[in-house]
Amino acid sequence: MESYYLFSNGELKRKDNVVRLTAPDGKFKDLKVEMTREIFLFGEVSLNTKCLNYIGQLGIPVHIFNYYGFYSGSYYPRESNVSGELLVAQVTHYADEKRRHDIAVQFVESASFNILRNLRYYRQREKDVDEAMSEIKSLRKKIAKTADIQELMGIEGNIRKVYYQAWQAIINQEIDFEKRVKRPPDNMINTLISYVNSLVYSSCLTEIYKTQLNPAISYLHSAGERRFSLCLDIAEVFKPLIADRLIFSMLNKNIITEKDFEREANFCYMKKEARQKILQAYDLRMKETVKHRDLGRSVSYRHLMRLECYKLIKHLMNDKEYEGFKIWW
Amino acid sequence: MYIILIYDIAQDNGGAKVSRNIFKICKKYLTHVQKSVFEGEITPPLLVKLRMELDKYIRDEEDSIIVFSSRQERWLEKEFWGVPDEKTSNFF
Repeated sequence: MESYYLFSNGELKRKDNVVRLTAPDGKFKDLKVEMTREIFLFGEVSLNTKCLNYIGQLGIPVHIFNYYGFYSGSYYPRESNVSGELLVAQVTHYADEKRRHDIAVQFVESASFNILRNLRYYRQREKDVDEAMSEIKSLRKKIAKTADIQELMGIEGNIRKVYYQAWQAIINQEIDFEKRVKRPPDNMINTLISYVNSLVYSSCLTEIYKTQLNPAISYLHSAGERRFSLCLDIAEVFKPLIADRLIFSMLNKNIITEKDFEREANFCYMKKEARQKILQAYDLRMKETVKHRDLGRSVSYRHLMRLECYKLIKHLMNDKEYEGFKIWW
Repeated sequence: MYIILIYDIAQDNGGAKVSRNIFKICKKYLTHVQKSVFEGEITPPLLVKLRMELDKYIRDEEDSIIVFSSRQERWLEKEFWGVPDEKTSNFF
């Protein structure tokens, strides 16, 4: 299955039972619909309901990004995998403070474990991250002891803060990165994080779409923020593995530099070519495979996301307790 | 698996209709790279599905389709002589 990343402007239409994007200059690209997993739209594309109907019929989510490359939303086709039973289980786990906390703890545990893994890797590369590592280690001990979600979120935030402070040491380029700023991101690193994270969120959404889970009910993040928050939960676990590592390698190999950004009054955005470069790297990364210990076969990073959903389903259906994904290699 | 599909449709009675349909069906699964050549990653079940769709139109005595398959794209060396063409890319 493939993901399509469409940067060109133009018209998206149904043609010959495939979806065709025609650029203003007449060039076109046919998307092989049977093999399409999702479509990312970055350009100025107009599309008609006939096309949306067809995409919906095939169950292909379309993720839309605005002019500045920020995620603006998804066309999420009618749920074809629905399970009332699972929905009830999802809601009861959300409503019950204790059970919700149990799941949320798993998300934070594994996310912070993966963060430590990243730091450990850079310690081997003789970067000065010892202090951050010990701080995160001590913060991690508090995770299981937290009383409620609020407190857990606080610890999660502290871990991230320490982690982001260590980025100065990890990245070889001269960067001016103090803290995470969103909406809008104000410097190069914040822009990068926002962009790559939004890609991870949308991939998570695509994977959740293929399972019976309802994307609006989440555990760590509060549900009902008028968005699909379950993908934020699941993405939390994968961000260190996919997003952060991608950013480190792009910067340390000088593939992305200050020149790839454009600064305006109080925000900073990425140039189109830079966005494309990152996407290409992201696409390759998602296809990367690792040997899964329990399954005994190779699975791609993307598939790990789906497996995470399945594990969550098992937990919700009282089949097998959920244990968040931790980098095992 | 990664396959290259090539078709040859006789252009006599009703041949145009057959090749039109073959073309449209192949496009749903594979990337059109040259006139009657398609290539792309596909799964074995989808290949069966593709074949079933094609079987409706293929005239057994006249038309022929060849499928070259390899386990993965990286086991396939590809060279462009003349104009290189990145039709199989996911970026546009």
